[in-house]
Amino acid sequence: MKIHLKYPTLLVLFVMLVISSWGFVQPKERTESIKDTSKTYGDKNRTASEKPMPIYGNWISYDSKNGLPGDKAYCVKIDGDRVLVGTHEGLAVLENGNWKTYTTEDGLAHNGILAIDVDPLTGDVWLGTMGGLSRWSTGKFENYTQMNSGMPNDLIYAVTCDGKDVWVATGGGAGCYNTYTRKWEIFTEENAPMHEPWTYGVCASNDKIYIAAWGGGIIEYTKKTKKFRDYVDPDGNMEIDLFPDDGVVHDITTGASWSNGILWVATYFGLSRYDGVHWKGYFDHDSGLASNFINYIKAKDDIAFICTDQGLSTTDGENWITYTTNENSKNGKTILLNGADKKELATSPSLAHNFTIGVDVEGDRIWVATSKGVSRGQLMK
Amino acid sequence: MKNAKRKTLLWMLILFGFIIYFPGRMLARHHVNYKTAVTDHPLKCTSCHVYTSKNKFVTSLINEDYYSPFNIAVSHDGSRLYVVAQDTDELLIVDTESNSVLHQIKVGVHPHSVILNKANTLAYVSNQWSDNISVIDLAVSKVTDTIKTGNGPSGLTISADGSYLQVVNTYGSDLSVIDLSTKEELKRLRTGSDPTGTALSPDGERLYVTSRRSKIVPYGEPLVSDLTEINGTTLRVSEHHNIEEAYMMENIAFTPSGDLAMMTLIRPKNLIPSVQVEGGWMMTHGIGVIEQGANGRIIQLLTDEPNSYYSDPFDIVVSPDGKRAYVSNSGADRVTVISVDSIRAILKETPKEKLKNIANNLGVSSRFVIKRVPTGANPKGLALSEDGKKLYIAEQLEDKIGVLDTESLQMEAPIDLGGPSRITVARQGRRLFNNAGHTFQKQYACYTCHPDHHEDGLVYNMAGKDMGRNVTNTQSLREIGDTPPFKWNGKNQTIYKQDGMRFSTVLTRTEQFSYDDLDAITAYIKRGIKYPPNLMYNPHGKLTESQLRGKEIYNRTKDNFGNVIPENNRCYTCHPAPLYSNLKAADVSTLAVTDDSILFDTPHLGNIYASPPYLHDGRAATLEEIWTVYGEDNKHGFVNDLTKMQLNDLIDYLKSLGGPEQEENSTQIQETASF
Repeated sequence: MKIHLKYPTLLVLFVMLVISSWGFVQPKERTESIKDTSKTYGDKNRTASEKPMPIYGNWISYDSKNGLPGDKAYCVKIDGDRVLVGTHEGLAVLENGNWKTYTTEDGLAHNGILAIDVDPLTGDVWLGTMGGLSRWSTGKFENYTQMNSGMPNDLIYAVTCDGKDVWVATGGGAGCYNTYTRKWEIFTEENAPMHEPWTYGVCASNDKIYIAAWGGGIIEYTKKTKKFRDYVDPDGNMEIDLFPDDGVVHDITTGASWSNGILWVATYFGLSRYDGVHWKGYFDHDSGLASNFINYIKAKDDIAFICTDQGLSTTDGENWITYTTNENSKNGKTILLNGADKKELATSPSLAHNFTIGVDVEGDRIWVATSKGVSRGQLMK
Repeated sequence: MKNAKRKTLLWMLILFGFIIYFPGRMLARHHVNYKTAVTDHPLKCTSCHVYTSKNKFVTSLINEDYYSPFNIAVSHDGSRLYVVAQDTDELLIVDTESNSVLHQIKVGVHPHSVILNKANTLAYVSNQWSDNISVIDLAVSKVTDTIKTGNGPSGLTISADGSYLQVVNTYGSDLSVIDLSTKEELKRLRTGSDPTGTALSPDGERLYVTSRRSKIVPYGEPLVSDLTEINGTTLRVSEHHNIEEAYMMENIAFTPSGDLAMMTLIRPKNLIPSVQVEGGWMMTHGIGVIEQGANGRIIQLLTDEPNSYYSDPFDIVVSPDGKRAYVSNSGADRVTVISVDSIRAILKETPKEKLKNIANNLGVSSRFVIKRVPTGANPKGLALSEDGKKLYIAEQLEDKIGVLDTESLQMEAPIDLGGPSRITVARQGRRLFNNAGHTFQKQYACYTCHPDHHEDGLVYNMAGKDMGRNVTNTQSLREIGDTPPFKWNGKNQTIYKQDGMRFSTVLTRTEQFSYDDLDAITAYIKRGIKYPPNLMYNPHGKLTESQLRGKEIYNRTKDNFGNVIPENNRCYTCHPAPLYSNLKAADVSTLAVTDDSILFDTPHLGNIYASPPYLHDGRAATLEEIWTVYGEDNKHGFVNDLTKMQLNDLIDYLKSLGGPEQEENSTQIQETASF
């Protein structure tokens, strides 16, 4: 008996597609470093709703009038007892209650500092600037530029220390600097699944690097195999999320941060959370997110700290807290959203500005970089 | 009749001999005159054709295997010496009672230093050319473990609690912290350039690492070297001290009370014309004193004297009572004995503003130098017995351990390690290379500007009388034997000329070497200096993907747009393997306004990664800068069509290059690079 099919080739292709797709969904093939923790957190026996979200208050702000070299703060990093703030006019360091500024005159590559990370092993500070990468060690700067080294581009948006490697996201691709061999590797659309070389964010997990590539979604790099894969918006470059939770919410990604098995992705069109299996999208209209326009994201333990143009939001994936300010009065609001339960607390003073660009959290302290200075908050009991 | 025939034959032979001899001799004379650039060098064919032969049979006949002791450790009870024999890759265990070698333990390649654990049960030996540490169980005198390190391990310390081994990586310019419980590298800390020396403070709180090369500074600015200070508890760098106008800080030691740390150093005057040597004060040698405690001053004191220099200070040790320091002057075959109390007095009396000036004072040594003790050839590592009564000196080119009675300050009978008694021509050449005796007032040896037979990373105003004209970047001497001509302007056709007539006229301002000595130093430079293995960038002789792509760019004939690159503008044209030089002069558009109008000799590229800065005047701080900053007109190879990734690949390939030997031994098969 002969079976006649109208579209035999299509059928074969379809069957092959189904068979091959099994390989992608088999549990063994899943990324082991990313756990399915969509409902449970750090302590697996407790759900998100059981674990209280940290609330910060007692805000104190600093700008050019009381310590910073300028008002525009791009990034902030807590380094032990000191705080490092990247501004448009140099590096401001708060230590023992005093601010000190370092600029190109002190050896910095460029005064506009967009990113800061500290190597936890060596204590070296790596500064991504608008004119190169500076390594700041014991008060001395060593600069890497596209002219004097193999670094991809001088415009550096993000820096991440990962063991012996320092990763940068630049305007000319992502770069990996091996501090042992002093060699740079460059990743662009030529050798990685990027849409274009413009990269905005980079973060590390135990075995992977995640690069937020402009127009290219999230690029995942497996350290062991040195292989890439990308996560792009299945809806294409549409500004609405056509099918919810089908992938990263948009291809124009502005940052990524990994913590406790969860990858958080910032875009200009909303927030994404990826647990290794499932994607979940968050928007200002269906969550407590202050704005879909996200400048920066930082995950710490189970909490994501999201810097938007309308204030700072924090979430554990279910509960939300957003900090905003009245830019005229400096008084502001802390908005708590737990399911449908919404509360607003008056805060005085509040953040320096709603346009938040950078954040760091350590212990009971939070520091937020805004376009009108930097703010420090304390954990409220 | 028979006799007549014989006589005729004899006369014919004599006639033939004369015909051969006179024109032959004339030709030989002409040949030797050309090679040596003098007219009276003896017509000894052996000078070139035997002493510099590459034939393995010949070299086995004319050379010997010396131990070349480099560093030493002494057991607590003083009964054993542990001697690093650098040229035989061994640790020698010496009985100080019988003065005999008890054990010869094979370690890694080109060992540098040895340290014992507190209980004296284990010895750790750093193997500079195999990037590892040999762990030796002293109970059985065997290597029981090998620990991986960074690139070029040298100086060693053990943390106060015995948990960590801190290994200085000379070629990597960093420090590996090894967890001795796991024997794994915990982290690597950045140090200054080309470090070797390290010392831990008596309280274990402070670790210093000295560097030998200066940071790269533009010509015209004084050099500055890094002294790295590491917190002994957090094992993080706590300070990078700038040591101004000094380099070659080989070793460092603390006083037992911990009030001072002292390091050896050289203060070169590379910014003034080198003819200044006849006026003295061209290269000066001394110590750096790092005051501990609140003041924290760092001062430099010359150990030289106004008309007599003690070149290449190498090691420094301090007596158990903290009153004396001993410095080995490798280029002067001396140990300088220093009164530490006198240094303390100088520190106390000298106002802060005068401390900087004192660094150039050749007379100040009279205040603290107690004695200069003559040693065997090329004293390197020093070790004091625990009671401080004996100072052991590794006499590298004597193959002996010198023994100094520290009470009488008299040398005792040395400990013969049992090496060859014959001094070969090449060994004599090495001694000359390392000895400053042939320079005006013994200011410097060849080794001074060519440490490790390489280069010191400085730019000199060589030979010129005009300040700042024709400045040149010091070139490496590693495996240069087959790369004539020499000098950046290629004016010296042979090493004979470079080290003979020119050497005395320009560099030493003394009588030139005797011809026997010239034969010896030429033989040594031409054949005795090897590249260290390129373990950082080409450890297995197999190129990486990036290096393969770089090799394709190096050998390309067309640019990225398919246009043919003119032959004289391709990398391989001027830098062909295996020497990576076509031995010709070229214009690569790097002539400076301060240069005479000349072409530049094409340098070889072997181990180029280890020779920053680059170009004839050292203007390029990195390989990248050769093209990103100084290659705009595409005259130094056609490169401006390259993407940043391609340039990185090309540089990655360049960094993989070794010498001709690596090229010959390389088993790598050219694969197709994937772009």
